[in-house]
Amino acid sequence: MTAGRWWDVVRMRFRSLTKRRRVETELDKELRYHVERQTEENIAAGMNAREAREAASRIFGGVSQIEEECRDMRRTQYLENFSQDLRYAVRTLGKNPTFTVVIVLTLALSIGANSAIFGVIDGVLLKPLPYPQAERIARVFYRSTAYPKFPLNPWDFLDFRARNRSFEGFAVYTHADMQLSGAGGDPVKLSAFRISSGYFQVLGLHPAMGREFDFSEERPGNGNVVILSDRVWRNQFGATADILGKKVLLESRPFTVVGVMPPGVDHPGNSYNSVAYGDTVDAWTPFTFDGNPNNRGSHYVEGIGRLKPGVTEEQAAADFNGLMREMATQHEGDKGWTIYMVPLFKEIVGPVHKMLLVLLGAVGLVLLIACVNAANLLLARAAARHREVAMRAALGASRGRLVRQMLAESLLVSVLGGALGAMLAIVGLRVLVAFLPAGFPRLDAIHMSGIVFGFTAAIALATGLIFGLVPAVQASRTDPQQGLRDGGRSSTGGGRQTRLRAALVVGEVGLACLLLVGAGVLLRSFVNLLKSDSGFRPEHVLTAEIALPDATYKAKAAVADFYTRMLANLSALPGTRSAAAGTDLPWTGYDENMGGFTIEGKTPPPNEEFHARYHTASPDYFRAVGIPLVRGRFFDERDKKDSQRTLIINDVMARRYWPGEDVIGKRITFDDNPKESDWFTVVGVVGDVKDKPESAAAEPAFWWPLMQQPFPFRSMTIALRANGDPTLLTDGVRSVVRKLDPSLAVAHVKLMDKIADENFSTPRFALFLVGLFAGLALVLAAIGIYGVISYSVSQRMHEFGMRVALGASSGNLLGMVMRQGVLLAGIGVVIGIGSALLFGGVLDSLLYGVSARDPLTLIGVGALAVVTATLASFPSARRATGADPMTSLRAE
Amino acid sequence: MSKPSDLIQGTLDLLILKTIALEPMHGWAIAKRIQQVSKEVLQVTQGALYPALHRLEQQGWVRGTWRESESGREAKFYSLTKAGRVQLDKELEQWQRLSSAVVLVINAGQEA
Repeated sequence: MTAGRWWDVVRMRFRSLTKRRRVETELDKELRYHVERQTEENIAAGMNAREAREAASRIFGGVSQIEEECRDMRRTQYLENFSQDLRYAVRTLGKNPTFTVVIVLTLALSIGANSAIFGVIDGVLLKPLPYPQAERIARVFYRSTAYPKFPLNPWDFLDFRARNRSFEGFAVYTHADMQLSGAGGDPVKLSAFRISSGYFQVLGLHPAMGREFDFSEERPGNGNVVILSDRVWRNQFGATADILGKKVLLESRPFTVVGVMPPGVDHPGNSYNSVAYGDTVDAWTPFTFDGNPNNRGSHYVEGIGRLKPGVTEEQAAADFNGLMREMATQHEGDKGWTIYMVPLFKEIVGPVHKMLLVLLGAVGLVLLIACVNAANLLLARAAARHREVAMRAALGASRGRLVRQMLAESLLVSVLGGALGAMLAIVGLRVLVAFLPAGFPRLDAIHMSGIVFGFTAAIALATGLIFGLVPAVQASRTDPQQGLRDGGRSSTGGGRQTRLRAALVVGEVGLACLLLVGAGVLLRSFVNLLKSDSGFRPEHVLTAEIALPDATYKAKAAVADFYTRMLANLSALPGTRSAAAGTDLPWTGYDENMGGFTIEGKTPPPNEEFHARYHTASPDYFRAVGIPLVRGRFFDERDKKDSQRTLIINDVMARRYWPGEDVIGKRITFDDNPKESDWFTVVGVVGDVKDKPESAAAEPAFWWPLMQQPFPFRSMTIALRANGDPTLLTDGVRSVVRKLDPSLAVAHVKLMDKIADENFSTPRFALFLVGLFAGLALVLAAIGIYGVISYSVSQRMHEFGMRVALGASSGNLLGMVMRQGVLLAGIGVVIGIGSALLFGGVLDSLLYGVSARDPLTLIGVGALAVVTATLASFPSARRATGADPMTSLRAE
Repeated sequence: MSKPSDLIQGTLDLLILKTIALEPMHGWAIAKRIQQVSKEVLQVTQGALYPALHRLEQQGWVRGTWRESESGREAKFYSLTKAGRVQLDKELEQWQRLSSAVVLVINAGQEA
């Protein structure tokens, strides 16, 4: 076929489609011309004008028939029919505004909800991380029976880096905030990391100016260089172009700037002193360390590596485990560890992966229910239009044509629903992001994208096809004779259709029950969390963080002395009830753990060691935070630097290591060859606080008194319990610290109840959404039941009239109809609860103190569904009682 | 009234293409010409003619243009396109093959 002909063909089709009126006029004119010429010929042959015209018309046959055939020849019939179907659909839908609005709104809600959840999933789970070939980056941790995920020892790191065969680059990093002073203005605390050379290469990032650290800078004494973030370079140094080589004061020591990173460097996240993925990091300094290379018991650096092309995590882990075993033969401290290697992506999104999939599942169920609901409503209407369909079939509409026409309607509805849903999704996604729980990863990556809109369009069309096809095929099976003969009264569309509609409603109720059970157990889990005793009292407590630079606060004594003076001044602030300092606060992710200490008179079980979370606390710490004393005493002025060494332990530690004994006066030591002065005596037992509210149980823990800390804790958290509003103390804290040392920054001033509350944001979020979806599902199911019962009642009015004539009371009829609704719901409940028992397992990891198969919830959901069904059947049942016996008798 | 099936399938297309190969014509003239040339044997009904013309036009073998006819009124004149000329040759060849084959069969029958 030549190009010219193609062009002609396309042009003609296009013309037939777009200039339909003109084409039609021309056709008409062309045919008229023919008739006129024939008429003229007839006149010439001797007929009079009227005869001539009639004869010409007769020869010509039916003009409209020829016109139709010419139209057929144009072969644009499908499209023309489609637009005709569409216009017809618009008219029919417009005639039933309530019906249309209900379907479109329910679809829009569920499509919108699906798209919004998908938007979150697209950003968090589908988009790659913003590092080149991010799939090759892996995190490396240690693992032992006691610690599933533990930082590395720096000497081990050197061995791994030198000897591994799996990584292109392997680096470590550790969180160490730094105070920047002398840059003009107040001192500021920078979120900073100490990194080994090659850290940025592993991430695939390069400084915008200057360079990354090299090996020589890892050596102790060479590490006074710094790489700044774009943000600090702009905000603190005015984006000066000649910053490289300049000295800046960090922790009161001069550091030379060797590099500036470009904007948008995402922190890969770390778990020890954790800074979340994507959070701001302001500065990087070289990781330097020294000491005895045989001493491998200290773990505080986190490993990250870039796999060589083609090497899997498993292969790399096997490689590292081999090295670990070799090292364990040489170093006592390396015994008992294996390698835990995890892809960076999984490490970042792992914690929310499950929840997002559960939400997608829940919202998908809602869409399914909306689909079933729409199919059901369409079926009901198809039944009402039975006669119309029969008539069209009798007039020669093919089955395909009937199906297409019905599908045009459902597609129109779903496209409307999809368009509205897309708008809802735009709003919904913003709302979702605003309500996402604290610490949710990759928030910045979440936004409406082409992919999300594509998803919306796809599910809109798919739902339209799904819920449209069943009724369309059903309707097309209509037997025209049957349909027309029935004359309307009993044209029920047959028992098959009634059964189909009942089955759809049963399915709808079942799905809704499944969602309700999910929402129910999440609710119970959340209530359990709220009701569980936190072990501390976060109300009226102001907290802040202070970090003393090690250059100016070298000795333990200097650190203890600063905090003692600061606390004395803070206690004097009006409105302060108690002022305290400690290494950490409850529920902030602190998990510093010490293992291998000695308990007087005890030996640990084989292959285990004594271990506990370690902390330090000022005398008033437990009062300020609200942790109760179980036995013994709190720290006080007796616990001085040179007096008897003391400890406070928690209840779990007392019961685990001294079961059934009075623990006061018992002693432990952290020295392998202790002198008498190396023993610490337990003077108090305090209540347990779990690491996180959802943790299974509290870990053993102990506290050193501030004055007796075995090594200097320079970074401390202040906790001030106020008599009234704790926020009023903020300025007081700042001025107290400034008076003691103007070079110090007061960071992260927060209310403790806010910190505590952040721990509930994830379960609250999941509960809110699943609850919302379940509520929506229940409403949809109620609409479905109402629709089926109401239709069935209108079909049976005649029968009800007869029953009344035969003596049935209103109560009888009411009961009959309601039983029908309850029966449908009952079967649905059985199916729904059955599937909840079957699939409940997926929720278990999100639940606290309740099983996904919680009997109380299952019973409650069943009852709720039955009550809903009763309510939804009531209006129709009432209508049934109004059946008129006379009408029925007359009709017989 | 004869239907398109009265003519051998596809023959009408050939007749139309052949007729307008000489000069552009409108529908009525095409019908008349076929009737005259075939000595009144072939009666092309309007019911067959116009759908066929429209189909040929849609396929890009003929092109319709409106201009004044010999009777002084506007009529739609159909002319052959380049592709139509190729198609005409193809159809002619096919027809010749078909008709000689038919003749062979008929003659064979007579001999037997």
